[in-house]
Amino acid sequence: MLENNIVFLFDLDGTITKEETLPLIAKHFKIEEEITQITEDTIRGNIPFVESFIRRVHILGALPAVEIDDLLSKVELSKPIVEFIQNNQDNSFIVTGNLNVWVNQLLQRIDCKYYSSQGKMVDGKVEKLTNILKKEEIVQKYQSLGKKVVFIGDGNNDAEAMRISDISIAFGNIHWPSNSVLQVSTHAIFCEEELCRFLKQLS
Amino acid sequence: MSISKTVVIGCAGIGSRLGLGQSKALINIHGKPLIHWQLELLTEVEDVRVVVGYQANEVIKTILEVRKNVTFVFNHNYFNTKTATSIYLASINANDHIFTLDGDVIIHPDDMKSCLEMDRPFIGVTDISSDEAVLVHLNDASEVTEFSRESGTYEWIGPALLNKEMFSYAKDKHLYEIIEPTLPLESKIVRSMDIDTMNDYYKALEKFKDWYEV
Repeated sequence: MLENNIVFLFDLDGTITKEETLPLIAKHFKIEEEITQITEDTIRGNIPFVESFIRRVHILGALPAVEIDDLLSKVELSKPIVEFIQNNQDNSFIVTGNLNVWVNQLLQRIDCKYYSSQGKMVDGKVEKLTNILKKEEIVQKYQSLGKKVVFIGDGNNDAEAMRISDISIAFGNIHWPSNSVLQVSTHAIFCEEELCRFLKQLS
Repeated sequence: MSISKTVVIGCAGIGSRLGLGQSKALINIHGKPLIHWQLELLTEVEDVRVVVGYQANEVIKTILEVRKNVTFVFNHNYFNTKTATSIYLASINANDHIFTLDGDVIIHPDDMKSCLEMDRPFIGVTDISSDEAVLVHLNDASEVTEFSRESGTYEWIGPALLNKEMFSYAKDKHLYEIIEPTLPLESKIVRSMDIDTMNDYYKALEKFKDWYEV
């Protein structure tokens, strides 16, 4: 058993999932061009993450949430990481910027407590965003409870949370972690078995 | 290995005396980067941690060409810190014993093997060859009793098996200054040399022909 004062916070997209979910949604609904443009602008730093997220939700929110949820429920997951989470359910949490209605079934498959962004639903579609998850606030919440926070992430929207975490692991399992993450991380790991081995050592 | 070990390779530094503007882990030794040669000697070790700082992305990518199961530890403050900081950062949540190795060291493969088989702390010493060496004094029992910049029987260029409890955060200290209070420690002769200057580099290329199959 791991020390009970440690909390593991996992990003979802590209960290636990073995493919990025946004391109998958874009492909399924044939809106690749619009989504790719926003994604590229975000990565280049031309638009801030929150603005990018709102614009993406504006596009994706018009699509039936159930269909997105069904689509994402089939995404391939990292088996060793899911196993680690399930063996450490008391102190493992997923923190995802995704809307809860889009990743509901996926999160059920992992069987883990989570924090996500939220939206108001009308007729099966997202009418408006009600909460955009700030991952750093979850880190602060657990630190204020005296917990040592270990954050595992890869993208720009993880960077601020990782900057303030006690241990932050830039995880490059399916792609190179963003530079903003590498600049603030305490560690970097590039395969799932190594990540789980290291996490077990943090006991 | 008889006890659980973490191997820490320090690759955060700038390598300024070599004058190539390149991390010494990346220098070409008979067709391969130095770090690849080191990693070939560590295939049996599960927990390998590499401390990165200067040219971190290049060092990481070069290592991933030959080994994926590595934990990289960032020393973002590499310009203002010394070896003790890098090793301390890597020692967090490590196994009980840490084998330290500098990223600019070449080591005889047989001696690396015997170092990894050791189950008690030791300092790996070698014949004096560097201009600005960290020297060691040994007592009659061949234990290291003192580090010195002025005199000594052997040189120490980084290999050592140490108890992880001895590490603490020390921004301005070299690793030998952290080890010093725990002396005496067993010594072990390790055929090795470090590459600080171009002259060392040419010498290392020659040594390699004797020590490795190149």
